Amino acid sequence: MIPMSSSSPGLNTASFTAEGVLKGARTLFPFAIFLTPVGIAFGAAATETGLPPLQALLTSGTVFAGAAQFAALDLWQVPLPYLSIALVVLAVNARMIILGAALSPWINALPVHKRVLAILLLTDANFADSYAFLKRGGLDVGRLLGGGIIIWIMWMAGTTAGIFSGSLIGNPQTYGIDVVMVSFFAAFLIGDLRSGSSIFPIIVSCIVAIATLDVLPTGWNIIAAALAGGITGVIRHAR
Amino acid sequence: MPDSLSAYLAILLMAAVTLLTRALGPLIMARVAVSKRVEHFLEALSSSVLAAIVATALFQGGPREATAVAIAGAVMLLTRKSIAAMGAGMAAAALWSLFID
Repeated sequence: MIPMSSSSPGLNTASFTAEGVLKGARTLFPFAIFLTPVGIAFGAAATETGLPPLQALLTSGTVFAGAAQFAALDLWQVPLPYLSIALVVLAVNARMIILGAALSPWINALPVHKRVLAILLLTDANFADSYAFLKRGGLDVGRLLGGGIIIWIMWMAGTTAGIFSGSLIGNPQTYGIDVVMVSFFAAFLIGDLRSGSSIFPIIVSCIVAIATLDVLPTGWNIIAAALAGGITGVIRHAR
Repeated sequence: MPDSLSAYLAILLMAAVTLLTRALGPLIMARVAVSKRVEHFLEALSSSVLAAIVATALFQGGPREATAVAIAGAVMLLTRKSIAAMGAGMAAAALWSLFID
């Protein structure tokens, strides 16, 4: 349930506190540790591409979006193709528009400066954690920033380690690190279903994601699938 | 290698585009009247986007990834702890790499 219709406009139905930030950081700490190797992989790949340490660190620190960073490295050449880089980053990160929209009932109940803080470090993982928390009736959007901060710290630590010792770390598959993200999301979906959400949008979304995978540019099958799932949710309730 | 000015410009560009995608969802929704219909849309959207990511990864992966996710799902059903589920999925994938291929 999104607690929006029960509130009149302008009435705060969300809060943003330091305790919430701390709670988010603590909750996602174990997850963030397992993201470090992905940061190491980026640091190593950036160094291999020829980025000096400062540029690699600045990329991780300000972009803070793994898939987009790796995609941009593929385009790193002379002269830099700015338009292609911008479009690829937009395509890979477009799903964050959807994550932000899903969180908007709580985010938009905050004053503007807190909204900026709330979305600043949005990623898939702190979205999944915060959305589940808010849906259970939690109100503290600080949790989203807290989760983002701890992931950011580990992401930067990983990038640093990768820049200076990347080649020493073996294949992340050996440790099962490549499945961390999907396992976490699968767990979120099970939790969501247990709390009474409908399975139909999920089924439609999975079908559309796979059906459009080879047809749409990289990443856009996720957008198409999410929109189809969203529309399924509307149709189910309209009947 | 690109000279440093071009490189920093490209990094700034990537950061700006990414920030835009983070901000755009709430910005768009602030201009949309939140009816019951929009509520249902957003609610289905949130699980759909993660489901799409999982489905894509599983479709591109093999039996190793499918087994890991199935075990993560089973642990979530039993314990309701997403971190435990994540750990189980990882362990399953690591063991698969160790013993199967």
